[in-house]
Amino acid sequence: MKKTFTINISGTVFHIEEDAYEVLQKYLVNLKNHFGNDEEGKEIVADIEARIAEIFSEKSSDDKKVITIEWVNDVIEMMGTPEDFADDEVVEEPLTAEAKRKRRLYRDPDHRVLGGVCGGLGAYFNMDPVILRIIFVVIFLITGGAALLAYLILWIAVPKALTTAQRLEMRGQEATVKNIEKSIKEEVNEVKESYKKFKESDTYSKGKKSMEGAGDVVYNVFKVILKIFVIIIGVILIISGFFGILGLVSSMVVGQSFVDGWPLIWGPEIHGFGVFNHFVDPGTVTFGLIAIGLLAGIPLLAMLFIGTKLVFRYKTNNAAIGLTMVGVWLIALVALITVSASQVGNYKSRSSMTTSQTISCDSCQTLYLKLAEDKYEDYAEKDWEIENFKVVVVNGDEVMLGQPRLDIEKSGNDNFSILIKKSSRGRNRENAKESAQDVIYNYQLSDSTLLFDPYFIIEEGGKWRDQAVDITIKVPEGKAVYLGDDMVKVIHDIENVSNTWDGDMVGKYWEMKPEGLTMKEISK
Amino acid sequence: MKIENAKAQMRKGVLEYCILLVLNGKPLYASDIIKSLKEAKMIVVEGTLYPLLTRLKNDGLLAYRWEESTQGPPRKYYELTDTGRQFLGELEGSWGELVDAVEKVRKSREK
Repeated sequence: MKKTFTINISGTVFHIEEDAYEVLQKYLVNLKNHFGNDEEGKEIVADIEARIAEIFSEKSSDDKKVITIEWVNDVIEMMGTPEDFADDEVVEEPLTAEAKRKRRLYRDPDHRVLGGVCGGLGAYFNMDPVILRIIFVVIFLITGGAALLAYLILWIAVPKALTTAQRLEMRGQEATVKNIEKSIKEEVNEVKESYKKFKESDTYSKGKKSMEGAGDVVYNVFKVILKIFVIIIGVILIISGFFGILGLVSSMVVGQSFVDGWPLIWGPEIHGFGVFNHFVDPGTVTFGLIAIGLLAGIPLLAMLFIGTKLVFRYKTNNAAIGLTMVGVWLIALVALITVSASQVGNYKSRSSMTTSQTISCDSCQTLYLKLAEDKYEDYAEKDWEIENFKVVVVNGDEVMLGQPRLDIEKSGNDNFSILIKKSSRGRNRENAKESAQDVIYNYQLSDSTLLFDPYFIIEEGGKWRDQAVDITIKVPEGKAVYLGDDMVKVIHDIENVSNTWDGDMVGKYWEMKPEGLTMKEISK
Repeated sequence: MKIENAKAQMRKGVLEYCILLVLNGKPLYASDIIKSLKEAKMIVVEGTLYPLLTRLKNDGLLAYRWEESTQGPPRKYYELTDTGRQFLGELEGSWGELVDAVEKVRKSREK
């Protein structure tokens, strides 16, 4: 059982099955689009319809009365589709239709090198595509990947001009400022007219009609405003989307130096991705970067896409593209959350290991604590946000340095001794202990002088796990220490009787008395 | 693709001439014209014909009148106008010249 419709083709009434009706209607709409909407086009379509009516009446003069899909397909085969005519119309295209058609952006399959994007843009802007291609290559060289990305987006998003109608649209009315102005002016006139009508309709106050009139005026005013608005928004979206992607790509690929070097280009500055290498494995870095790139890039792509759509008005499968974008964005989000969660796990437990050494210096009454020379002062330092840590580049390798902390306590026996406690965080205790073992810290003892390295080093390839080195000097009662001026960098909250600040403790002698560390007056 | 294009252009050039030829003598309606052209394999799909008929009509070479039909909608009968007849005469002349020229070229190659 099938539903049938009653239709009127060229003055003759037919019964047609539902599926046949759909095919026929689509075919006739195609024809109309192909031949255009002017007098000539209408006449051609009318002639074809008349012929179709004739064929159908011949067929239905037998006992069968209903048009089936087979008949429709037969007719289409006989009459041919717009694509068939297009082959025969290579030379001439109706010029009259060209002037009236509004331009749409298509990819031009006849003038293409890659995807026909430049060819289509050339048709749209009425420029030689060669010039566009040269401009494109120049932009590509300047911006790195961004221009290529823009090209790919257009390639995917902009449809190819297949039918004659599309080819005509591709070269239709120029989208110059003048033409946009013209179309807006036309709309404004329309507004004026409908307002005039509304005024003249003397039913200023009452009745349904005036309501409709007012509705028309409001509608038309709204339409004009909306149109201008849409174009402005579109342009803004294109510009911000493009520069956003430019900024994103350049900061991801070349790092921050690139963006800094291009102060004219606006873009979200994403700094120092290289820093991540000190926290997580390289594989995870790449993975995370891709996720971040997608997370930030997809909204920018969407901006660019919507912007070009608003300005150039081309047709696409919006739902598919939109869903894909949302889908990929969500996947990137989930991936990033997963990665972050697993990374946070790396800091779960803390473990430490302590080494102690007794300083055999029976004769000395005073131990001199001094800081060794800063070997890394002259090396380039990288941007780094974590307190007490820094990263320097030595012969192209990045070395991570941390600042040790020094405290002074009372010794339980008669000897000076030094305690070095290295600690670190990790996934579990074992893991944390391994990290702690990878911390290198050196000091030197010569006579009564202890020379401390200003930094501890995290072994090459090691990751930042909040490592720390705590140095404790045990001072027996009755003996003293001298804090060198440089020591201000490493001493940390040393308890003393007079509650003197760390900064004021250096350059002075301190004696360990039963009540605690006491400042010794210089009695020389 | 290129060869197809050349063929299509050739056929297209000759097609207008053929339509005028078919209509020379008596008025016909579209289906008749299609029938003769299809027999001669000049056209493949009927849709090609209608734009041509309309264009020839708009150029003043053809005219049409409506005639009632016993079996279906009224039909457009096309006929040559005076200009059309004159144009056809010119085309016959240039066609003859063309055929001669092609023949000459072919013969000279065969020698």
